[in-house]
Amino acid sequence: MSKEIVNEEAPSLTGVVSAENRTLGSLRSVRWRLNLGVLPPSPSLDDLRRETADSRRRYAELRRRLLLDPHVPKNGGSNSPDLVMDNPLSQNPDSSWGRFFRNAELEKMVDQDLSRLYPEHGSYFQALGCQGMLRRILLLWCLSHPEFGYRQGMHELLAPLLYVLHVDVERLSEVRKIHKDHFIDKFDGLLFEENDVTYNFDFKKFLDSMNDEVGSQGNSKKVGSVDELDPEIQTIILLTDAYGAEGELGIVLSDKFMEHDAYCMFEALMSGAHGSVAVADFFAPFPALQSHGGLPPVIEASAALYHLLSVVDSSLHSHLVELGVEPQYFALRWLRVLFGREFSLHDLLVVWDEILTADNSPLDKVSENEEISSFKLLDSHRGALIAGMAVSMILFVRSSLLATENATTCLQRLLNFPENINLKKLIGKAKSLQILALEFKISSSLLTFDVAYNRCKSAASSRNLSSDSVSLKTLSLVPDSYWEEKWTVLNKAEELRQDSLGKHASIGKRRWSEKVKPVLSRTESDPSPARAEKYKKGHSSSVRRSLLEDLSQQLGLEEDTEAGDCFDACNLDDRHSIEVQVERQNDTSIETIRTAEERCESGSGASVSEENSSIFSDPASSCSSSNDHENDTEKSSVSSTLSSDDNDDRHQSSLEDSPLPVSSPPDDVLLNYPHENESSGKMVPASKERRHLPSRFQWLLKFGWNNASQEASVKGVINETAKSANRDSKSSTADSSTAGASRNSSPTSQRDVVDQNVMGTLKNLGQSMLEHIQVLESVFQQDQVQVGSSDNSSRNNLVGKGQVTAVTALKELRKISNLLSER
Amino acid sequence: MVLVLALGDLHIPHRAADLPPKFKSMLVPGKIQHIICTGNLCIKEVQDYLKTLCPDLHITRGEYDEETRYPETKMLTIGQFKLGLCHGHQVIPWGDLDSLAMLQRQLDVDILVTGHTHQFTAYKHEGGVVINPGSATGAYSSITYDVNPSFVLMDIDGLRVVVYVYELIDGEVKVDKIDFKKTATTTHSAH
Repeated sequence: MSKEIVNEEAPSLTGVVSAENRTLGSLRSVRWRLNLGVLPPSPSLDDLRRETADSRRRYAELRRRLLLDPHVPKNGGSNSPDLVMDNPLSQNPDSSWGRFFRNAELEKMVDQDLSRLYPEHGSYFQALGCQGMLRRILLLWCLSHPEFGYRQGMHELLAPLLYVLHVDVERLSEVRKIHKDHFIDKFDGLLFEENDVTYNFDFKKFLDSMNDEVGSQGNSKKVGSVDELDPEIQTIILLTDAYGAEGELGIVLSDKFMEHDAYCMFEALMSGAHGSVAVADFFAPFPALQSHGGLPPVIEASAALYHLLSVVDSSLHSHLVELGVEPQYFALRWLRVLFGREFSLHDLLVVWDEILTADNSPLDKVSENEEISSFKLLDSHRGALIAGMAVSMILFVRSSLLATENATTCLQRLLNFPENINLKKLIGKAKSLQILALEFKISSSLLTFDVAYNRCKSAASSRNLSSDSVSLKTLSLVPDSYWEEKWTVLNKAEELRQDSLGKHASIGKRRWSEKVKPVLSRTESDPSPARAEKYKKGHSSSVRRSLLEDLSQQLGLEEDTEAGDCFDACNLDDRHSIEVQVERQNDTSIETIRTAEERCESGSGASVSEENSSIFSDPASSCSSSNDHENDTEKSSVSSTLSSDDNDDRHQSSLEDSPLPVSSPPDDVLLNYPHENESSGKMVPASKERRHLPSRFQWLLKFGWNNASQEASVKGVINETAKSANRDSKSSTADSSTAGASRNSSPTSQRDVVDQNVMGTLKNLGQSMLEHIQVLESVFQQDQVQVGSSDNSSRNNLVGKGQVTAVTALKELRKISNLLSER
Repeated sequence: MVLVLALGDLHIPHRAADLPPKFKSMLVPGKIQHIICTGNLCIKEVQDYLKTLCPDLHITRGEYDEETRYPETKMLTIGQFKLGLCHGHQVIPWGDLDSLAMLQRQLDVDILVTGHTHQFTAYKHEGGVVINPGSATGAYSSITYDVNPSFVLMDIDGLRVVVYVYELIDGEVKVDKIDFKKTATTTHSAH
């Protein structure tokens, strides 16, 4: 008989909680419950027990409420139920039978997945009891979260949670066997003999037994008191006291309540427990409410991954982007199941240890006025670690990814993650990436992922850009001096137009697309000068390249029946304008245009893409000043006008409204991009812009108008930037556009005709400007990029952030249009 | 929780064009596990329609059925219950409980489903149940013209069967419920 002196004080887990990992050691379930927020981070055992009991009660109540038997009458059976409503064939959705059938359907779906869960550990997971538990838990969660329904993958999230509970309970039973003395139900510290007389205490016997105890080594571990045990075992014993707070319901480690605990953990994991990363979001098909991009959260998170990858290893990133490997192809599975399918169960437990240890509370955002927030995934330590983990996994198979030129092979590699991995290294790298991600997130809170996504959408062919490779900044405000500049430029443009009427050999669209691409890529990659943020140059080239490809793709797809010289001209202009921009940092728009004009006339059809890329890399570096911004816009407008001239109206209109997330400097991009996007069928801007001849000017107007409306919305940014680009470079564009226009209207080489055209175009320009102004004013709403044409949607992309600017810009536009119409 | 639909005497297309629309809207595929039909459909198209509701379809021959190869009587076991099916024009007098009870004993079933009278009836009789689902289309019968469309849905759950009766009275669907519990006796052989 062992007379252990149970510690009379309320046992506390102070030591446990503070040195969690040590004492809780292998008690993953308790540790995870603490990390997930199921258990409060309080050192007192009583608190833990209470919270455990509460959560279990909640689950029991939920289960009673939702898993109903239609035979059991609803209200206690007293009143006769309304049979018309409550019969099995009732079409009434409220009837208990209706709910029964719906639950049956849900259960069928869940069963489909459960039967295939972890076949390699089938002895546990395929056992009836376990399957029943899993099924009920999933069913109840789906019923209480009807907006998500059941999605494949939820069962894989739940399985490890149940498993760790099971493991801990097994451990408990092991410890019980070894230390059974401690588990004897001594509810008052004294072990009474099976005597009737309680107080018949035989002192002699007692002393003898005491001596025995002291003397004996203990066949099993007969330790004197609980405190002398290994802290881990101590914890286990403390956690299973049947008489602590809340009695049996409060036993933290209990096999009776495994289902309850697993449900609570699952719920906490899915909902994020007030943290930032909620895995349930990854299952949501629709964009989250706070999403700026209007994309499903999982796509956003995938974009975050690629973004982080681009920071860390831009060559791999660009390689993947070039191949068209979109991150969500593999990241969807990674994120939704938190890497459950990439690692074996035991490795996964280690990975989840790390992930769950990371804190999930949202980090303070660097407060910015414009709220293009960073990726939500990176908003917390846990999220950053998840992103870091994913990126480190990608890097792990780096060599095999770089070796292949085939997107399918890449995906195969990523989806069949190798088995023999050094998990420690992987996790170590993930942690370092997490730190990097957090730092980066703060410094570049303006990164948006829309661009990449939009581009992906717009690319009609297989060459899709990755969902995230460029950071776009919001447009800076357009200074009022723009308008004056534009006006002068407009005048000059007219003059130039009359001069240049040469025909250019028609070059294929490809040319133009190539040229445009560099422009686009460049502009896209340019950081917003207003923000004066450092831009990771590593992005630029890859982005540009991808953009270029994208553009060429899009352009190539377009069946443009316009004369090829337009393209040529555009191409040339693009190139030249780019060059011009490179050369001068703070030049006036006029100069830019002039040079652009000259270059345009040269009309050489050299392959532009390389040139452009090189050219663009320079501008990228110089794009830190607002002037650059202006220049860019001018240039972009120039190129865009030129290109627009050549394109169909559709192109033009589309250009304007394409919701490309281009930062302000990349007006060019905007101009061109919208082109591209339009051609690929993205946003079709208002059809009012379909005018043939004056299309260019309209285009100019649009762009300038776009420029004026500096709106910070992601979509709006794109449109806006396009528009602002227009405005900014209105003068310059006017110049170049006139030049371009003149070129475009090459058939009519006569001055008179040209003059008339100019007048007509100017008039149309004014009109379209007015139209655009009206449209712009009417639209200040973010919308999701829709492939296909929808006038309203394109408008709706604008967010009313820069409304003031927009309004002033509009006024300017009005003035200009008036002037134009007067002529 | 097995749902069995019992209906019959539709007389489509001779005496009725189709099931009442309110009935049709309730009969959706996927909910019902078995359909037993007393007969007098009368044409193949009705059989096909019933087959879309549930693949497990049992029909006995009524005197006006155009398909001649349906059996006269049928027996099936669902859960703990044995069901018997017959059109009922063979049992004279039509609709007489004692005569039907004779048939029930003959077939040795717990639940006997017959039709032909176009009137819904349900009797508990000698430890068993005799059910007449009536006419699902409300077609007139040889006996009477005043027929309400009706059919029966049985919910067999272990030893208990709940009979839901759906009747179309004055354009409204009325539902009634009858509980039967089978005593867990051994089935006595009728030798």
